Amino acid sequence: MKAIKILERVLVSIPIMFGVAIIVFLFMRLTPGDPVDIMMGRGGAVSAGEIEKLRSEFNLDKPLHVQLWLFLTDAVKGDLGYSYVQKTPVTDLIRERLPATIELALTALLFALIISFPIGILSAVWQNSLLDRFSMAGAFMGISMPGFWMGIILILVFAVKLHWLPVQGRIDFDAQLAAGTGFFVLDSLLSGNRAALISSLKHLVLPGFTLGAGIAAILARVLRSSMLETLRSDYVVLARSKGSPEWNVVLKHALRNALIPTVTVIGLQVGVLLGGNMIIETVFSWPGLGRMVVAAIFQRDFPLVQGSVMVYAITFVLANLIVDILYTYLNPKIAL
Amino acid sequence: MFSIKRVVLTLVLILGVVLAGCTPAATPTEVEAPAAEPAEVEAPAAEVEEPAVEAEEPAAEAEAPPATEPTTLIVAFSSAPTTVDPADHRDRNTESLIRNMFDGLVTRDATSGVHNELAESFNWADDTTLEVTLRQGVLFHNGVEMTADDVVYTFERVIKENMIEYPEAHTSPRKGLIAQLESIEKTGDYAVTMHFSAPYPTAMQMLVHQQVIPMGYMQEVGTQGLLDAPIGAGPFKFISAQPGYTEVVMEKFADYYGGAPDLEPVGPACVDTVVFRVIPEASTRVAALLAGEVDIIQNVPAELVSTLEQVPGIQIKTAVGTSPQWMEMNVNQAPFDDVKVRQAMNYAVDKQLLVDAIFGGKAEVLSGPLSPYNAFVNKSLQPYAYDPDKALALLAEAGWTDSDGDTFLDKGGTKFSFIIDTEEDFRAISEAVAGQLQAIGIEASVRIWEYSVIKPLLQAGERQAFLNNWGDSAFDPVGHMEAKWHGYVEGTTYGRGNFSGYNNERVNELIKLGEVTVDIAERQTIYDEAQQIIYDEVPAIFLVLPDVVSAAAADVQNWEPAADGRFNMHDVCIGQ
Repeated sequence: MKAIKILERVLVSIPIMFGVAIIVFLFMRLTPGDPVDIMMGRGGAVSAGEIEKLRSEFNLDKPLHVQLWLFLTDAVKGDLGYSYVQKTPVTDLIRERLPATIELALTALLFALIISFPIGILSAVWQNSLLDRFSMAGAFMGISMPGFWMGIILILVFAVKLHWLPVQGRIDFDAQLAAGTGFFVLDSLLSGNRAALISSLKHLVLPGFTLGAGIAAILARVLRSSMLETLRSDYVVLARSKGSPEWNVVLKHALRNALIPTVTVIGLQVGVLLGGNMIIETVFSWPGLGRMVVAAIFQRDFPLVQGSVMVYAITFVLANLIVDILYTYLNPKIAL
Repeated sequence: MFSIKRVVLTLVLILGVVLAGCTPAATPTEVEAPAAEPAEVEAPAAEVEEPAVEAEEPAAEAEAPPATEPTTLIVAFSSAPTTVDPADHRDRNTESLIRNMFDGLVTRDATSGVHNELAESFNWADDTTLEVTLRQGVLFHNGVEMTADDVVYTFERVIKENMIEYPEAHTSPRKGLIAQLESIEKTGDYAVTMHFSAPYPTAMQMLVHQQVIPMGYMQEVGTQGLLDAPIGAGPFKFISAQPGYTEVVMEKFADYYGGAPDLEPVGPACVDTVVFRVIPEASTRVAALLAGEVDIIQNVPAELVSTLEQVPGIQIKTAVGTSPQWMEMNVNQAPFDDVKVRQAMNYAVDKQLLVDAIFGGKAEVLSGPLSPYNAFVNKSLQPYAYDPDKALALLAEAGWTDSDGDTFLDKGGTKFSFIIDTEEDFRAISEAVAGQLQAIGIEASVRIWEYSVIKPLLQAGERQAFLNNWGDSAFDPVGHMEAKWHGYVEGTTYGRGNFSGYNNERVNELIKLGEVTVDIAERQTIYDEAQQIIYDEVPAIFLVLPDVVSAAAADVQNWEPAADGRFNMHDVCIGQ
């Protein structure tokens, strides 16, 4: 039954993806700026007719509806075209970059969970204690501190001054990690390359922490407030009166119910993790999707922007689906 | 995102001061060397000599018994190369990367002189026929010798339609860089002849931009194979690349023929491994250099130069820039349709102050429409002097006076008020220009745009003033004059960067004449006249030519950034 429901949800997301594709296509074309003109740069010789030729090569001389039709019919076949600038199929470019972005996003999520759960739970249990006040002040800072600022401060302290961690990049160039999944941590584990593992983990710390900090702050606050609510509920009072140990009351009775709003927020933050990446990836020179999209937008590299935004959209839809499925486990009363 | 940059830069600035404070008053190192005086015209010549002195050293090192430890040089670019195919890009960093793996018939030195590389000699049979004799014994990285076939193949791949088959058949975007080349034929195992459609005075400068690829290898693996494993005849061979060329690793090619014989040192490269890495954020680049993660960084923003100068051991190197900056004025609209007003604008701006305050001295004042380093600059032109009184007098002649005592000039009841459109990169200089104009009673303000958004408005003549730059990396008027100062002709290259609406018949005529005149003296006369007219009619405030600033760690030796932006790592050594 549940399987059918999930399949239904997946099918519903297909028209959503179509809608996204059309909107992105149109928005990119409505934005002023001519990709060919940008490509020719400012300076240097450009022969007459060269610009027209490139325009026809990219199909930009065809009417808009023809261009859209070409894009959609190709996209259905899994062909997202090729990048105007890099002259490489968009699907290849995304496939190469996606692992870096996902690796960073997962690390950030891990940091966020490790930081936020103890803080959120303890500050609810010891409400108004010194820990509660400090951690909530910290959360405010975490929310209001922009990622690029925090990133550069962390670089200055931990990389330039203390030399504990690298300034930028994903791995040392001489780590000699054999090509594999593109997830460097996983690849180094699989190939048993200790040097590569250490190098890739070290490179993950600063960007992962920077990206995760903002999310940790939000999660800690959400978890604290929903814990406060559940800790006051009747079933918790009942559990306590039955003589259940306090840790059991907190973790099993209160936390599980407090998780529902928290999971929703985590689901939404997946979007932040992908979107926020653009800035963090730039500050730390992390070779992920975000950095590529920013460059592609400025170059008006239409196929690359379209393809990347499609990937973002798919990720969002999937994250929402997973959150909905998780709900049914956390609270059996909720159906898909 | 750009104001972000400023905050970050400020932070790094603070750090720099802290760092400088930590160390006993650092005596400025080599930093001072290239004094930023216009006297630099002499200086580059001296700089060319310099490497020659050190030349013995790297050569000796290369021959020394097995080096104790392999040396690695890491270079940080500010933007990613787009490909490793020499025929499939229009991007300067891509070319910089490629020219470390691929050599061309000719190359440029740090000051833009052209020297033979894979070509041994050239002979102009007539105005449109160029005979090239190739160097013998040049090996590609796969051990195959270069012959005339490779050269013919290379150029045909660029000039013929749809020669690049991956990912879809398309024509090389570098065709325009050698547009007059009609055909090329093999005339011997080591000889080719090029046929041009018209006299092509800039042929030698433009040949620098084409690098030779091996025909046999290409026929075997195709374009896709070349992208996976590029093979050239350059000083370094490709080892590996990260996706999107965010990092490219290369190794010294031991059988390198040595490079241009005129340019010392000749022989295999000095370092064993070179890594090009992309660090887009300027402050991260600087941090990576300070942390010792990279050895050389590209594009140090003017704001950070003085900070880095205070860090002991860091070498700051400047190269002549190739992107002069102007504020173009819409000559078809009041108030700038009056030549007196435009001249007044030139007198009202203290360009030397801009050089000192905005660029920390690392820029030069422009005297006219061309960079002072252009091969055909009109040397008799002097920069418009800073003379606010003269500016006010000219404005008064044009009818602009402060008649109502509100400190702003007015004419017929209209206040002299306009907007300087510009891009984020030129914000500081635009604000400084606006400030100077305000000082003489002109209400100037600055508006920031994205280039591709403002460009159509500018070409439609809908804006008043635009502060921007335009490159001339070939150091020749072609590629620059027709784009910037010729009247705009839609769909052609003429006036494609002309944002003032300036359109003078005589200038147009001269520009076209210069494109096909081969005799150097004759060309000089043509361009002198064109520049003189533009200078007199001033469609723009001729502002500055900023230097290109790079920085390197203390142990980097024999490295000079080139004026055309090339990062040639062949000569560079790492040592104590």
